[in-house]
Order: sequence, then structure tokens, then C-alpha cells
Amino acid sequence: MRTILRKVFFYLLTAWAAISLNFLIPRIMPGNPADNLINQFHGKLSPSAVHALRVLFGQSDQNLWQQYLSYWHSVFTGNFGTSYAYYPSKVSTVLGQSMYWTLILVTICTVLGFVIGTALGMLAGWKRGSWLDSLVPVTTFLSSIPYFWFAIIMVYLFAITFKWFPLSGGYALDQHIGLNAGFITSALNYAVLPAATITVASIGGWLIGMRNMMVTTLSEDYVRLAEAKGLSRRRVMYTYAARNAMLPSLSGFAMSLGFVIGGSIVTEVVFNYPGIGSVLFKAAQSADYPLMSAIFLLITVLVLLANLVADLAYVFLDPRTRES
Amino acid sequence: MALQAAALAEADAPAESSAGPARLWLRLLRSPLTLSGVIIVLIFVVLAIIAPWISPYDPSAVSDTTLAGPSAAHWLGTTQNGQDVLSQMLYGARASMFVGIGAAVLTTVLSVVVGVTAGYVGGIGDEVLSLLANVFLVLPSLPLTIILAAYLPHSGSLGIILVITVTGWAWGARVLRAQTLSLRKRDFVEAARATGEPTWRIIVKDILPNQVAVIAASFLGTVTAAILTQASLAFLGLADVTQWSWGTILYWAQTGSALLTGAWWWFVPAGLAIAVLGTALSLVNFGIDEFINPRLRQAGIGTKKAQRGQVRAGRPRGRRHRTAPVPRPAPAPFTQDSTDVVLQVRDLRVEYVSEGGRTRAVSDVSFALRRGEVLGIAGESGSGKSTLAYAITRLHKPPAEIARGEIRYTAPDGRGVDVLAMDEAELREFRWEELSIVFQSAMHALNPVLRIGAQIEDVIVAHRPRMAAPERAARVLELLDIVGIPADRASSYPHELSGGMRQRAMIAIGLALDPEIIVMDEPTTALDVVIQRQIIEKIMELKDRLGFSVVFITHDLSLLIELSDTIAVMYGGKVVEMAPAEDFYRHPQHPYSQGLLGSFPTLGGPKRELTGIVGSPPDLRRLPSGCAFRTRCPHAFDACATKVPELLQVGEPGARGTLAACLLHSVPETTTNELATGETR
Repeated sequence: MRTILRKVFFYLLTAWAAISLNFLIPRIMPGNPADNLINQFHGKLSPSAVHALRVLFGQSDQNLWQQYLSYWHSVFTGNFGTSYAYYPSKVSTVLGQSMYWTLILVTICTVLGFVIGTALGMLAGWKRGSWLDSLVPVTTFLSSIPYFWFAIIMVYLFAITFKWFPLSGGYALDQHIGLNAGFITSALNYAVLPAATITVASIGGWLIGMRNMMVTTLSEDYVRLAEAKGLSRRRVMYTYAARNAMLPSLSGFAMSLGFVIGGSIVTEVVFNYPGIGSVLFKAAQSADYPLMSAIFLLITVLVLLANLVADLAYVFLDPRTRES
Repeated sequence: MALQAAALAEADAPAESSAGPARLWLRLLRSPLTLSGVIIVLIFVVLAIIAPWISPYDPSAVSDTTLAGPSAAHWLGTTQNGQDVLSQMLYGARASMFVGIGAAVLTTVLSVVVGVTAGYVGGIGDEVLSLLANVFLVLPSLPLTIILAAYLPHSGSLGIILVITVTGWAWGARVLRAQTLSLRKRDFVEAARATGEPTWRIIVKDILPNQVAVIAASFLGTVTAAILTQASLAFLGLADVTQWSWGTILYWAQTGSALLTGAWWWFVPAGLAIAVLGTALSLVNFGIDEFINPRLRQAGIGTKKAQRGQVRAGRPRGRRHRTAPVPRPAPAPFTQDSTDVVLQVRDLRVEYVSEGGRTRAVSDVSFALRRGEVLGIAGESGSGKSTLAYAITRLHKPPAEIARGEIRYTAPDGRGVDVLAMDEAELREFRWEELSIVFQSAMHALNPVLRIGAQIEDVIVAHRPRMAAPERAARVLELLDIVGIPADRASSYPHELSGGMRQRAMIAIGLALDPEIIVMDEPTTALDVVIQRQIIEKIMELKDRLGFSVVFITHDLSLLIELSDTIAVMYGGKVVEMAPAEDFYRHPQHPYSQGLLGSFPTLGGPKRELTGIVGSPPDLRRLPSGCAFRTRCPHAFDACATKVPELLQVGEPGARGTLAACLLHSVPETTTNELATGETR
């Protein structure tokens, strides 16, 4: 229980740090982005939007502390102002439309990549020296490929050359978003290539980590004892070796997750997928700072939640962490 | 390398430290994968450096040959504007490698400073720094990088290097902190601190050199990550798109619709270059990983083929019989006249196989274990006693291999089986049912994530599939009770038990199926004397009650003399003396046994002066010729260097049944007289 509380406290602290960092970045950056942005719109911005922009960059008459407080107010109310890339939509509206696409895609791909990669890594470690060892260089190569380039190749092969899957987007334009069979089928069809890209590209990291831990664990005394006990091969492999070998994979989840999410963002751009990645890309291109900082916050909070889940799973799987 | 493994398996001596560091690093290059990784990386570095001189065209120069495929004039084709892709690739290598290496240098410096400071200083500074590192570690770095880069548009490579450094230092810092923490507690650092060396000197001289491998791994990892990040940013148009890098090429390919026009030569090379360079760096890193973690190195040797070849000689298969376990006859006290042999080992030879040859760890050992007997095996570390214990149960792992010999088990009903001829299924059935093992360190031998009860129960599930769950649970409690562990501890995890209790739990597991033989490999070495005594008394009491035989392995000779019926002494992989415990204690025949007895105080018995043995245990790879002990033997004479002594009956009065392998007992009278009159050395 105390371990869990400490974890929760740590993530709250990290969230606070990230949110404060997000407050600080626009204020410490060189140049005058606010004026550049206002000039770009040639006076087409409403006065309230101009005011909001000046607030974002700390150019208001409030002192820093007051600015900080009102920043927190806007974080909790979800009021991140107006988007410039999607002017005159609200930032919260833009995010509300795009986040579910990313959330579903990345969650499924991360889980798939973790499960497949860990399972293959377990087998490769268990049967080290067999043909499975050739998985290691192959997946090393796969995980060294930039996600977005892999996505380009997938598009080139399966969308342009073979025409098996649609080229870009999240669903056929003649479908209406909603819980109807036509839309869901179409969305699934459009998701195959992006999902395959992210999953295949992320398997490698999990596989190699798990294989090496498996090899290390197999020379532990408790695995040898399990063999001496005459237990079945499956019992030795799952309950004694893999069960212990996967613990470091889980505790390294945070870093890997950051990698997968980073890769997914750029992948979305290649597929023009209607998720957060494409929005962030558009925001960055048109210097839409309110949208960018809101996206950063959103991704950070989601990553922290995912890490908390991974940590809780770790506590559940490793009894040694449960006390002290 | 396998020899190192052998040496490590036998003794915990860090065999690595003996060679010079430069040679160790060179050894990295011996692996073909690592070597090819290094060569590929070097090729890329060289190409990046000489790019301006070898590029056939100016990468930005436009021409009329637009979107042309690969040809003699343009090896990698041209872009939409007729620019030469090969020249762009070469210049791109410069920018990408500059960002990769620049970011890696800065990041590594920052991680080393933060990690080593946090680990060495400790206290509040450590708390704050590691909290900071942990926070940065979970922050998703690419979104942060994108935002920072968006605020710094067109800042060029330097801006990107800074951004990558800010978001990427945490991982290395965390690893290095943990390393520093453990190094700080090592003897040589403690010693340096005690002599009052200044902190910075200790860090530079004692701590950093031991972290070179980790620092190198983190450096190479960051190079890959930085090149990827730079490519992502450039591809998204967030870097200076007029400066050629691999990412920029992909950016222009994407905006120029290279995909739709099918101009694969435009977008394939850049991504491929990143992937190949990344793979090469990873291969080098694997080499470093194996260098840091010797177990990974053994994985290459521990192939399936080798595992199958663990027992070399092909032998006729015994037929499988699965009969109900015969209840053991009531335990009769063991006497030295017994001929009821339960385990017969003949000429057992175990070798560690490596590229350099075969090292004999157990050399033609023979003994007979009789029903109810306690056979004590004594020897220094490296004498082969643990290898022997594992070989008896066929638990030895490659590169260890049973080269020859016979292990014969005789069940209570008189049925005999050849242990080395069993296939996997038979072996699984045999293990624990007939022969169980108690390992040296219960801390390491118990599965840390499984409750004690479950670790006892799974043996029963595996071997008595028909036993009902309540019956099994009752048996678990019974076993715990036998070794004196309270019933409620069944649901404890190993780390929740004390050292003594863990060891008793190990014994409970060993007793689970009521085996005929229990092999105990230094079962009490890690415990304090009082607990040690309790455990030994428990074992002896159980043995008398349940009537199993014991092979007890230890270097603690006084303990062995107390509890064994028969003692075998091992030296350099051989049994050099075997005798009933009483005879052994009173009349040790081998000079090595005499030396051993001279170096241990016994708990009972008359007082005597402790002497000990000069020199250190021999290196199994370079055993002296003739008698392995001769270099340390006070009685060695000429013949010892040429003649290997055999284990023979020593026919002196009062030493009935003693076997010894020493020329003192087998050479003609003259030599013995010579020895009696004066030393020959």
C-alpha cells in the first residue's frame, strides 16, 4: 500500500513538473513568437485571441505568480484558448476530436507490441542457439528503422503498389462518424497499416530486452532448482524463468512507452491519420503554441497514467516491492 | 571465453580482472557481429568526413534530369528538381552524424556529471538529482522535443543537439548513479577514501574507469536516438530544411510526392542509411552488453546442440518402467560393512568445452553411496566438488559436458537405472522422486516471486498428478512442520523469511517426495554458526528418521567429520582420499588431507596446532604434471612430477578401507626410505 502511495505521489509530482515546464517554456524562449503569430494573421485575430496569446507568452500586466495561478486555472478547466492552426476552433474541441483516434491506436499497438515482443523474446531466450536467435539481428534492424520511414515503405508497398489498404486518413469520407457498422469497418480498414507499422517497429525493443533477461535468468539458481525438481518444461519456462525475466521489461516500460508514442506521432503524419500526431504536426508548422502546449500536457498526462498502470502491475507481479 | 565461464562457475573469482583492460576491449572485436558493427560505423564516419571531396555534384544544384532513376551519371537517381540524391546522402551523413555524435557527447557528459555526483555524494543531493532524472525519464521526450524545436525554428543542428540533450540525459544518469552507488561500497574505493584521497581523484581514478562500458553503451545508444530524433524533426519540417540531412531528404521527398510518383530511389536510401547505422551501433552495443554481463556471453555456447550433447557417449536406452514407488524398508542404522549401494559413480569425467580445448573439472571420479550413508565431499573452491554434484543429477549446463563415466542408481526394490542414458522425460521423472538437491544459497535458489508453499507444492503436482488439492496442502504443511517452519509461513515469499528459515524451506522442498538420496551443496555455508548447528542437527535427525542417503558437499572439514560416515577429499578435480570419517580424522593418508586437517580446528577432540597448506588452489586449466598437489606438497619427490598417482587401498594397520591417491603409499620401499631419511627437494 505504501509503495503504491509513493508511486502515485511521484507521478503527481512529475505531472506538476511537466505542467509547470509547459508554463515556463513560452516565457523563456528567445525572440517574440507572439508578435510573429499576430502579424501572420494580418489583423484577422479577434482581440480576445490576441489577449490570450499575450497571456500565453507572459506579456500581460499580471506578475509571474498571478500568471501561474491563472495558468493552473485554465489547466483544470480545460480552457486552453483558441487554436490558430484550426482557427477559430477551440483547442479543447480540436483535441476532443483527435485524441480518441490516437488513444485507441497507440494503446492497441503498445499492448500488441509488448505481448508479441515479450513472448518472442521469451522463446528466443529459452531456445537460445536455435533458429530463433536469428530474430535478434532481424528485430535489431527493424527497431533501428525510423518509424516514419517504415510507414512510408508500408504505404508505398501496400497502399500504392498493391492497393490493399487505403493511402491515408482514418476512415472513408463517405462514412459518418458514429457507432455504425460501416464506419467501424472503414476505420479498422484504415487503421491496419498504421497499426502494423507501430507494432512491428516496437516489437524489436521488447524482444531483445526480454531475450537478454531470459538468458540471464536461465542461469539463476532457482531455474536450475526448478529443473532439478523435475518440473515440466512449461512450468520452468513460464513460472520460474519468464516470470522473473519480464520484471525489468516492465520497469523499463516508461522509457519504451515514450519511444513508441514519439514514433506513433510521426507515423500518424505519414498516414495523415486524424489523431493527435497529425494535429501536433500541423500545430508545429503553423506555430500554434496554445495547441502544442495543450497536446504536450495531454500526452504527458496519458503517459504518466500508463506508467502508473505499469508500476501497479509491477507491484502486483513482484512481491519484493510490496513492502518497505 | 568458455574457460572464463568455467572458472566463474567453479569459483567466484573475477577471472576477467587478471588481463589488462586494453586486451579486454580488443576481445570485444572478436565477435563477428560486433566487428561488423564497428566496421559499418567507421565506414559511415569516414564517408561523412570526406563527403565534400567525393560528392559527384553539389547537393543543392538543380538540373534538367528530374526524377530520373538510378543511372551511371546519378547512382541514386535525382529528385524532382534534378538534384543528385547520392550527393545529398553524402552531405546528409555529415549533418546527421554531427547531430548524433554532438548530442551523444553532450548528453553523456551531462549524465556522467549528474549520475556520478548523485551516486557519490548521496544524501539530499542524490534524492533531488535522482528525482529529477526520474521525472525527465517519464516525460514523453518527442512531444517535448517537437515543442522546443518549434520554439527554436531554423536554429540549425546546434539547437537540435541542445534539445536532444535536455530531453535525453536522464536514462544514462540513472544507470550511472546506480553503478556509482555500488562501486562506492567496494573495497578499493573505501580504501582510497580512508587514505584521504580527494573526492575528484577517487571519481576520476577509481570510479569512472569501472564505468567505461556503461558510459560507452549509453553514448552509442544516444547516437542512434539522436540521429532518429533529428530525422523525425527534419521530416516534420521542424529543422532547417535547407541544410542537407537524411531527415531533410525525406522531408523533400514527402513534400515532393515521391511516393505517388513511385520515385523509390528518393526516399529509400535515407531511411536505409539510418537503419543500417542504427543496427551497426546496436551490434556494437550488444558486444558491450555481453562484455558487461558474462552470462549473455555463455548464451552463445549454451546452444541446444550442446545441451543435447551434454552426455557424449551414446548409450543403450534402458526401458522405461513406471512402477508405483516401493515403500522404503524401515531405516536401519548405517554401518561401514553395508554393501547396499544406492548410487554408484564410475570414472565420471566432466569437462568444460571451449574453443581453446577441454578443461577437466571432474577427472575420473568413482565412488559408491550406500543406503543410509552420509558421504561427505570436501575440497577447496575449484576442486570440482560442485561440478560433481551437478553432474550426478545431470544439472550441469554447457559448456560443461560429461565426457565419460557411469552413474547407476539402484531403487529400493533392487531395480537399477543408468542415469546418463535417460531421456528428458525419464530424467524428469527420476529427479526429485529418487534424488533431490539442497542448494548452497536458498536466497538464490528459491523463486523470488512464488510463495514458499507453492514452491513445495509444484513438485508434488508434477510428480503426483493424482493427488487431490487438500491432500497436497496437508503434505505441504506436514513438510514445513518437519523442518520446523510455522504453518502460516507457507504463504510467505522467500524474501520475507530469515536466512535460516529459507534454508529449512529448501530442505522441506528437498524432502517433498521422500527421495532416496539428497545432495547437499554447502547447505549451511551462508548461515551463522548457531543456525548452522540447528540445520545440521535437523538434517541428521531427519536422516535417521526417514532413512535417506546424503551426499554432503562443503569446504568445512570439521563439520564434515562430525556428520559423515565416509569422507572423500577432492583436489584438482580428483578424489585424492576416501575413508571412513573416523579413520580419516585419526589417520589422514594423503598429504593434502593432512594439510586440511591441520588447518581446521575441530569442535571436540584434543587441542593441536593449526598449520595449513602453502600456496593456493590450482588452476584447472594448468594443472601441474603428475600429481596435481605436488607443488604445494611438503613431501613431494621426483616421481611426483611424472607419475599420476592412482586412488588405491592403503594397507596400513588401523586404516582399514582407506583409499588414497599418493605415491608415498604406492612406490617401492626404497623411495619411502629415502623420504624418511631426508627431503628430496
